[in-house]
Amino acid sequence: MALKLSYTGQTSIPVEIEGLTPDKVRGQSLAEIERFEIFHGNRKAALADFFDVSGEPGDGCFQLEGDLAGVHWIGAGMVEGQIRIEGHAGRHLGSEMRGGTIHCHGDAGGWAGAEMRGGLIHIHGSAGHLVGAAYRGSARGMTAGVILVDGDVGNELGHTMRRGLIAVGGACGDMVGFNMIAGNLYVLGSAGIRPGAGMRRGTIGLFGDEPPLLLTFRRGTTYQPLYLRLALLQLRQHGFAVDDQLLDASYVNYHGDFLEGGRGEIVVRA
Amino acid sequence: MEIRGTQIVDTFAEAFGMRFVRLTVTAHDEYWLEAALREFTGYGSSVIACDAEVGVERRLSADQTPDGRPGASVLVFGFSREVLAQSVPNRTGQCLMTCPTTAVYDGLIGSAERIAVGKQIRFFGDGFQKSKLLFGRRYWRIPVMDGEFLVEDRVGVAKGVAGGNIVIQGRSLDDTLAAARRGTEAVDCLDDAITPFPAGVARSGSKVGSVYKQLKASTADAFCPTLRGRVASKLHDEAGYALEIVVDGASEAAVARAMASAIRAAAGEGVVAIGAGNYGGKLGKYHFHLHKLLA
Repeated sequence: MALKLSYTGQTSIPVEIEGLTPDKVRGQSLAEIERFEIFHGNRKAALADFFDVSGEPGDGCFQLEGDLAGVHWIGAGMVEGQIRIEGHAGRHLGSEMRGGTIHCHGDAGGWAGAEMRGGLIHIHGSAGHLVGAAYRGSARGMTAGVILVDGDVGNELGHTMRRGLIAVGGACGDMVGFNMIAGNLYVLGSAGIRPGAGMRRGTIGLFGDEPPLLLTFRRGTTYQPLYLRLALLQLRQHGFAVDDQLLDASYVNYHGDFLEGGRGEIVVRA
Repeated sequence: MEIRGTQIVDTFAEAFGMRFVRLTVTAHDEYWLEAALREFTGYGSSVIACDAEVGVERRLSADQTPDGRPGASVLVFGFSREVLAQSVPNRTGQCLMTCPTTAVYDGLIGSAERIAVGKQIRFFGDGFQKSKLLFGRRYWRIPVMDGEFLVEDRVGVAKGVAGGNIVIQGRSLDDTLAAARRGTEAVDCLDDAITPFPAGVARSGSKVGSVYKQLKASTADAFCPTLRGRVASKLHDEAGYALEIVVDGASEAAVARAMASAIRAAAGEGVVAIGAGNYGGKLGKYHFHLHKLLA
């Protein structure tokens, strides 16, 4: 039985639960967990001030319920275990996490999986800006792990990501893969402007309507990349919806960004 | 002991511990898959002189392969991890990468012991190769003239058993060949085992050593019908022909199962006896007594 956290907060001020992860509370009593220090705006509070806490903390599973759109840093820094969110989540969901899995059965705010180091986040709704991105001033964004978003995402998806895989079932905003160092980034819906700007290596797959690419990308060829088929099949095995048409489609690869050496690639449907 | 009139000789096969890798090879269609497998498994009959003993374990349907294309599981046996670390990349590079449309994946994912395959072959890409890390497994994309050769970075190595064997002795050549085919076809149906010789059958069974000092193996004279009368023959009195089926397997149990299946399938009309080859029990760690296998 999971540790059940039911949100009871009635506030428009952000609630931050950074550090409350399955690995941290394993071995603690419910009373200790209820006293876990969180932030309500800039004021410290106890977890029990905003959540009803019940269940079993020992099995490494959290189940969060309620409208958590204003609750931020859920699962941030998590090392192992599972978090299941029955509803929306706030910003920084699973940021800097190193292991474990998070399933969010709603929308998530910005910075989901930012600077992620491992594990899996599956957002079954949509997500905000800067998913898997680097925090401002950081040298690297996501360096390992998998982020799956069934819906849409905002701008700067995978900003400066170094490694890992991000797949988006819907559309994405502008500057997808901006400054990307390496990794895999697939968007099944449409994409905004300037995809891959400044990318050094890595693969950006844009499978919706072909966006106008920057002039610093050069066309390769039309083919059926096997690695892409492999990746799509593996995504499907992990519960991410992939249309059969994508598996057998032909794609055009573009090399770029030639301002950064041209070792990256954007792949679009032919 | 007899099966359908065939005497099962009270003897044993002597086999050795080896290391093996399991590759999953896929291709665009059956034609190119067959071409790749034929090339890859060539010159892979015996480590007496080949770099490895190689065979197709089983065919895989599209829904059984990582990339959803037709494929096959191939076992490669060698005396050590170090030997496999040379032979597998060499064969993959020369026989699979060269074959249109192929891709190569690890078939022993859980194995802790690993050797580099794509990690080594990638240099053929001359700096244009790209790696893809997908769900914890790294692959290399090497640009080639039909697109890209996709090969897994490292593959698992496990302990196996090689050299299980039976010797089929028949009255006529046709009867003996037919029995050998039945025997290898029975093994073909089994997982975890291969028969690495041509169509699974060796006519040149060997013994250890030779009158020529530089040779480590020479003909198994005791099973050569033309030498009957000149050497101490191990052939049945009525046998005019003998053929050997050699089995390599992922485990002792897999070899035992394959040998038993081969014996049961091969026995019958025109096959006077089925025996096995051994070295007096002094060389190989694994002894497969035929009567125990069939008990």
